[in-house]
Amino acid sequence: MKCKKAETFLSRSLDGLIAEEEKSALEEHLKSCSACRKKKDEYVFITETLRMEEFPEINPFFWERLQPRLKEGKKYAFLSVWKRWSLRAVPVSIIAVVTLALGLTVFIPQPAAELSQTGDLLLRNNPPLPETVTLIEAESGENKSMQLIFLAMEEKPDLRRYFP
Amino acid sequence: MEENRLVERSKQGDEEAFGVLVKNYKTKVFNLAFSFTRNRETADDLAQEVFIKVFYALEKFKFKSGFGTWLYRIAANHFKDYMRKHGKERHISIEDLGREPSQSVDEIKKKEQVQEAADKKKLLYRALQSLPEKHQVILTLRDIQGHSYEEIASILKLSPGTVDSRLHRARKLLRKKIAPFLSQEGGNHEM
Repeated sequence: MKCKKAETFLSRSLDGLIAEEEKSALEEHLKSCSACRKKKDEYVFITETLRMEEFPEINPFFWERLQPRLKEGKKYAFLSVWKRWSLRAVPVSIIAVVTLALGLTVFIPQPAAELSQTGDLLLRNNPPLPETVTLIEAESGENKSMQLIFLAMEEKPDLRRYFP
Repeated sequence: MEENRLVERSKQGDEEAFGVLVKNYKTKVFNLAFSFTRNRETADDLAQEVFIKVFYALEKFKFKSGFGTWLYRIAANHFKDYMRKHGKERHISIEDLGREPSQSVDEIKKKEQVQEAADKKKLLYRALQSLPEKHQVILTLRDIQGHSYEEIASILKLSPGTVDSRLHRARKLLRKKIAPFLSQEGGNHEM
């Protein structure tokens, strides 16, 4: 048996949790190993000393001293409940506000951007000026697209490219 | 009155019933506190704190374990918290005995046998207090308080196998700390 194993058995033997054959093997090992015999004495000293611990008398009037502390605790018990719930309420409120804000943003329909009268007419294929009817009808679809682009540029001058 | 009935009544706020439970368990809780603190006043104060905690936690007690086991679990956790806050690992030396540092172990041996035994005991408790808290707890529950492996497993919510291995490690650590002071060659060692 190795000393490491013997030390485990020594510790278990202090609690009487060692099988007969383990006990015999340990005793055999102890006969030939002075280091483990020393360890055994040390373990016996430790456990015997701890098990013979003497405790002082408990201070008198333990319950009488405890009672007012329990009553004091009761007085503040509802505060601790409120504190516990208020701490939970903070994150819940934040989540509720954020969810509501997101809901309003996503589900409330945005008013459509209004087109100018000219743009509206062009999109509906109605010429803005009656005298241009022939011209628009005669021209190809490409020219009509160009007209729409120029119209947009007039309404949003910042979209125009700068020509030096 | 049966313990479970006392617990039920205490849960409904009956202080008289709780008083009986306190009377039944105060010495055990105090002794456990004293094992950790080695100070009577601190142990008394900690024991009171444990019963206050227990009184306000009673509504959470569902009778899944015995009341005593549940009480011990609260007490052990409370004392662990206390040690974490107040009992940083202490490095102890033979000067803890109040001797001159130059005094040799040979001179110590010349002292009265009774005094020597008292000194060794004092050193052993100092060494125990210098152990990591989990080792201190398991040694206190097993070797000082005399709880069985099953009870310790239930109090600390560990498997019996873990109790066995942790107890063995704790004893080994304590032995290593105390060994230089027990041996004849021991000198001015630091633990």
